[in-house]
Amino acid sequence: MSERPVVQMREVVKTYEDGRVRALDGASLTIDAGEFVAVIGPSGCGKSTLLHLVAALDRPDAGTVIVNGEDLATERDLNKHRASEIGLVFQLDNLLPTLSASENVQVPMFETGLSARERREKAMRLLGMVGLTDRARNRPAELSGGERQRVAIARALANDPGILLMDEPTGRLDQATGKRVLDLVDALNKERGLTIVLVTHDNTVAGRAQRTIRMLDGRVVDGDSPGDGRVSTPHPAAATGAG
Amino acid sequence: MSFLTLILKNLFRQPVRTGLTVLGISIGITTVVALGVVTNSLKASAGELIKLGGSDFMAAQQGAADLSFSIVKEEDVRALGNEPDVERAEGILFHIARVGSNPFFFLGGRDAAAVQANPPNLIDGGIWGPGATNEIILGHRAADDQDLGVGDTIHIENIDFHVVGIYKTGVLYEDGGGYAPLPVVQGIARKTGVVTAAFITVKEGVDPEVVARRIEDDYPDLATITDVSEYGKVDQGVQMLEAANLAISILAVGIGAIGVMNTMVMSVFERTREIGVLRAVGWSGRRILRMIISESLILCMVAAFVGSALGVLATRAILLIDTISNLLEPRYEADIFIRALVVGVVVALAGAAYPAWRAARLVPMEALRYE
Repeated sequence: MSERPVVQMREVVKTYEDGRVRALDGASLTIDAGEFVAVIGPSGCGKSTLLHLVAALDRPDAGTVIVNGEDLATERDLNKHRASEIGLVFQLDNLLPTLSASENVQVPMFETGLSARERREKAMRLLGMVGLTDRARNRPAELSGGERQRVAIARALANDPGILLMDEPTGRLDQATGKRVLDLVDALNKERGLTIVLVTHDNTVAGRAQRTIRMLDGRVVDGDSPGDGRVSTPHPAAATGAG
Repeated sequence: MSFLTLILKNLFRQPVRTGLTVLGISIGITTVVALGVVTNSLKASAGELIKLGGSDFMAAQQGAADLSFSIVKEEDVRALGNEPDVERAEGILFHIARVGSNPFFFLGGRDAAAVQANPPNLIDGGIWGPGATNEIILGHRAADDQDLGVGDTIHIENIDFHVVGIYKTGVLYEDGGGYAPLPVVQGIARKTGVVTAAFITVKEGVDPEVVARRIEDDYPDLATITDVSEYGKVDQGVQMLEAANLAISILAVGIGAIGVMNTMVMSVFERTREIGVLRAVGWSGRRILRMIISESLILCMVAAFVGSALGVLATRAILLIDTISNLLEPRYEADIFIRALVVGVVVALAGAAYPAWRAARLVPMEALRYE
């Protein structure tokens, strides 16, 4: 595993509703390339906000968020960052309902300059990787929850990102289906060296990661740097929100 | 999947709404096309009229609201014939009469000597001679409509005319009417000593424009028309139609744009979360903007084509009415369909501007939270 940091957050503050809600309150962490990290904590502790800042869906009010050497607080073209550096998987699959599985996977590739044929071929390769070649022409409504989430993972990998961010990816799946999705995530990390940051409130899911970052009240309270190693015992506060 | 495929799929997700929007815009464009065809046809007919009998231009009463109201004294016509550089000047009196079921029968009064010297293209029979009183030559369309031939009688405003010849000139008004001796038509129209217009042919090598300008200078009561663009000097009918066409085009744009805006705003609202996903996977605001505007453009281009087709069908349908077919020969010229396309593009851009702007400015996080 490489030790090059790909995500560095320093004293990050993010507020909502004119400062009344302090989602992040001085959060700091470092994630190295190739790590599989779980971010865990009770509801409202700021873990999804943290993920969204790394995904460049939002900007911090204070502090720095450096991803692959670029400070997202000052970076002007966040679209480019989202298109090329990051793959994002939501709790809800968020697939476009009118498009087939293959077409959904192709959607992020419009920003890359690939031809229609290249997009189609790449989408088929990615669907093959998640085991859904035979479902390529099916629309989301014709797929199971697990299949939809695997299509979402294939879509997240469309532009070959170095970092895969996942927000409660198994939150709406039954245990067996959730396990299959996590097996796939595990394989992506081990076989492709993909850096994975997975937000969850489920200790079992977090247990699949190499490192667990615990959050409480908008701050990282444990496991904030690679040197912290794997934390196996749930934090008492985090455990209260665990599913 | 191409970008176009994505756009088409977005449009087909609500097929009824898309279809109704297309239909709404099409109706506006149908009106624009139909009125455009009518206007162009009338202008073409006017263009033919100003050069009747192979003349170079027409002189009629300055400021007449309608050519049929124009009055030019016969003595002025004779004076025009004596102008230097003028080869020939012939006065013709137009009178619109009801003949059978046709309320717009064109009856032209011509001087016998002038007809003998410059006859229309006869396809049957001959021309009346000097002193004739109840003889007429008919255009082939009028003869066909009334089922008449040489030797038959046609009844026009209490006078039975003896048909002595049938002609074909290719000019709609002429072919749908007939020519009778000038004094007889003056009697019917109660316009003794006057004609509607003088048709002037200049001598070889002379510029008709120069002669026309000189006549206007020398005869303040007369307006000369060398080109259809000047027809408004003696007839405001075409100008009024053009103004109506412009007004309807503007209305079509306004109403169409509101319809498109309504559809696209609904569509953007419904897809707020999806647009958030597109932003989250790296789509730029500009690409979102392009997607919404492209959807609107395709919607309106389809409407432009449907509206144009309906416009052509509508004009074909109204021509099934004999009365109208004698007045109009439809001209499906490119400018009408270009106007339809322009209306479609303007409607698309005006209607999509706000929703596209709104979609492009959606903050990814807020869009993703949208339920």
